[in-house]
Amino acid sequence: MTEKLLTLWYGSGLYNLSLGQAVMVLVGLGLLYLAIAKKFEPLLLVPIGFGGILANIPEAGLALSAAEQAAHLARPALLEQMAATLQLGLDPAAGVEAWRHTVSEALHGDLSPALLRAANDLAMDSGFAHGMLYQFYSVAIASGIAPLVIFMGVGAMTDFGPLLANPRTLFLGAAAQFGIFATLLGAVGMSAMGWMDFSLNQAAAIGIIGGADGPTSIYVSSILAPELLGAIAVASYSYMALVPLIQPPIMKALTSKREREITMTQLRPVSKLEKIVFPLSLLILVVLFLPDAAPLLGMFCFGNLMRESGVVERLSDTTQNALINIVTIFLGLSVGSKLIAERFLAVETLGILALGMVAFAIGTACGILMAKLMNTVSRMPINPLIGSAGVSAVPMAARVSNKVGLESNPHNFLLMHAMGPNVAGVIGSAVAAGVMIKYLG
Amino acid sequence: MQDTQLLNEGLALMGLGMGFVFVFLTVLVIVTTLMSKTIGRFFPEPPAPVATGARRRPPPGQDDDVMVAITAAVHRYRHRHRR
Repeated sequence: MTEKLLTLWYGSGLYNLSLGQAVMVLVGLGLLYLAIAKKFEPLLLVPIGFGGILANIPEAGLALSAAEQAAHLARPALLEQMAATLQLGLDPAAGVEAWRHTVSEALHGDLSPALLRAANDLAMDSGFAHGMLYQFYSVAIASGIAPLVIFMGVGAMTDFGPLLANPRTLFLGAAAQFGIFATLLGAVGMSAMGWMDFSLNQAAAIGIIGGADGPTSIYVSSILAPELLGAIAVASYSYMALVPLIQPPIMKALTSKREREITMTQLRPVSKLEKIVFPLSLLILVVLFLPDAAPLLGMFCFGNLMRESGVVERLSDTTQNALINIVTIFLGLSVGSKLIAERFLAVETLGILALGMVAFAIGTACGILMAKLMNTVSRMPINPLIGSAGVSAVPMAARVSNKVGLESNPHNFLLMHAMGPNVAGVIGSAVAAGVMIKYLG
Repeated sequence: MQDTQLLNEGLALMGLGMGFVFVFLTVLVIVTTLMSKTIGRFFPEPPAPVATGARRRPPPGQDDDVMVAITAAVHRYRHRHRR
């Protein structure tokens, strides 16, 4: 009888809960709190937070592959077999626990896909299976599908009218991307100083947070640094939610009251034909200059063409609503699966969170400075406040520009003017992502 | 030694990336402006604004007729309901 009770106790979550897992469950609850009580990007933080809790349930291994589960639970014989497959030497004197550690570390390291597949096959032969969240992750993110489908939906929701009426706002979207590259340099610098240990690929993936574009940063980090994906996605979505808090102080510090009161000329009306031709010409430019940005910008243009062509109303509607919602659920849960205690609770995560904040701030500042520069050159007045909308974060950043503008001059509505640099920022960060993938991928 | 190499690569990527983003978006600005000009010249409809403009300012004669008809109708309606 006591033996049975003990088995039950040894199998319970409470017995197996490690400190890290407990902390991560709290982190997950924290994310849920921010989403539900504070309304911070709830559409993403609810699935991410919940996925994070699921991923840290002890012994359930929902976020682990078959081989990883085997490394934790298998009999020593199987461990020896796996070590042989992975070409590892196991020290016979070290004992089973050390073996488990060696094997699972090897599984997380840089393994060739062929070896990884062999280890997984071996584990599955012995009855281990991939966890649910692991499956979601491999279908939705590892394949690159979910961020791309979301980008298609964003394309279908985007109105390029303000941008077409004033194409020069594209420069603001370009300037704000400086945040991405400055952060990259910051991450590399931190490694050079010996504070952190980021490779160039990881630094690039962290920098993309400065693009303030969730799907783009997930796409890039799934290619360049999948091991940091959890922290990068969490940082990127939390800061997008914090845009209304982070941006205004920077905007006010860099502009004078007179500049904030500048009224912009009314945008010209844009014909339907222009709106249809624009995604096609963007696509042709991508084809000609940067095929590596083709997955992101291709889906974006496709979504936008469906919207503007006006003949596939049903497809456009599905893309904007049902499809993007479905994909968001799985994207969020998959990101949550990357919040495993052993991987997430590291000094690097703190570094990523700090760098992400810096990236946002630099991007905002550069957009504003560029707008001020353009204002001195161009005849048409440009309110520098719309420069901050150059960091994507559609449409939050544009709303912030509008709000800060209204504080200075209650009759000055900047929203439509800020939408131009806002969507330009989406294009700009996708181009920056393409450059990174081309250079490092 | 390795650190400076990493820093240099970071700097190179920054210059290259930022340069490319600017070049690409500059080309996009040029292409978009040209496209808008071409469409404005060869397909000069802009159908929506012209149509609404025409509707907003209809021929004055017809406007008067409509006004008279509406006034008469309102007048008759009020008259009938007062009784």
